[in-house]
Amino acid sequence: MHIVFGGAFNGKRQYVKEMLSSKETVWCEGKLPDAADQSVVIAGLEQWVKMQLERQMDEETIQQLVKKTVQSKKGQQQIWILTDMNRGIVPVDAIERKLRDVIGRIYQDLFKEAELVTRIWYGIPQLIKGADENEHLYQNRR
Amino acid sequence: MAEGKMIFISGGVRSGKSAYAERRLLNIPAPRYVYLASGQARDPEMEERILRHQKDRQNGGWTTVEQPLQMEHALLKIKAGDAVLWDCVTTWLANELYEGWQEGKPCTEEKGCMEAKWRKMQDTMHRIREVAGILVIVSNEVLDDFVRDESYQKWLGEIHRWIVAESDEAFEMENGVAYKRK
Repeated sequence: MHIVFGGAFNGKRQYVKEMLSSKETVWCEGKLPDAADQSVVIAGLEQWVKMQLERQMDEETIQQLVKKTVQSKKGQQQIWILTDMNRGIVPVDAIERKLRDVIGRIYQDLFKEAELVTRIWYGIPQLIKGADENEHLYQNRR
Repeated sequence: MAEGKMIFISGGVRSGKSAYAERRLLNIPAPRYVYLASGQARDPEMEERILRHQKDRQNGGWTTVEQPLQMEHALLKIKAGDAVLWDCVTTWLANELYEGWQEGKPCTEEKGCMEAKWRKMQDTMHRIREVAGILVIVSNEVLDDFVRDESYQKWLGEIHRWIVAESDEAFEMENGVAYKRK
């Protein structure tokens, strides 16, 4: 499991696309993958979480669904593209405040599960988890 | 002619990015230290702030060029070997993207408007580097948040990615500490 993390418009998707190049992958934008999908990219998780919150789904259930996805894809390639949204001003909108809390906690769970976490800062990748075995600074920064 | 060095420094509000940028620049011997200021006074507080900064820099031996829009005009004021500091990308982008809002026709709503301005700006940055010995660019971290203004944030992301790719060095400032990312 690999997480690619960073602020909006920092080049996260482009980084993943270049990393995958020609490999067969199911790209899930704003949704969770189906059970049959093998080798997946999950992007726009925050959109999916927001949709569930708008449908009045409780946080516990949302967390469980995300956890179940991680478990069901164990041993297969799973790349999660997560957007950092939690370093701004407290939102006025109640659902956005809730969203910030929920994704903050989900991200913590996902970061715990992932073997690799790469942060993207304006196109520059930096390995922030998994460095012990995999960090080769020179290669890592291309 | 070889291009001058380019350094990108970005950070949150009061992260110490401007102080670090000035330090980096003043460490390099140069005939002149030029400050390209993008701030635009829209109220008395802002006016006072700009004047204060101008005075501070004057005492420090800086030459200030106020250029809120159309950076290509600043080119004429840059001399060979100058050490140039541009502060900052976020204010420049706001000035250009919303130019014309008083007339109800901001650039952001006109097709191709910002694209043309950005192409010109890329060219200007290259030309500044050809003349100056060094160009240090300062900007803000505002993308780790909800998308509030998609056009502005998308442009800022694209501009930052380009500048980082073009730069010799890139730093992220946090609490007065510069983290070298490139």
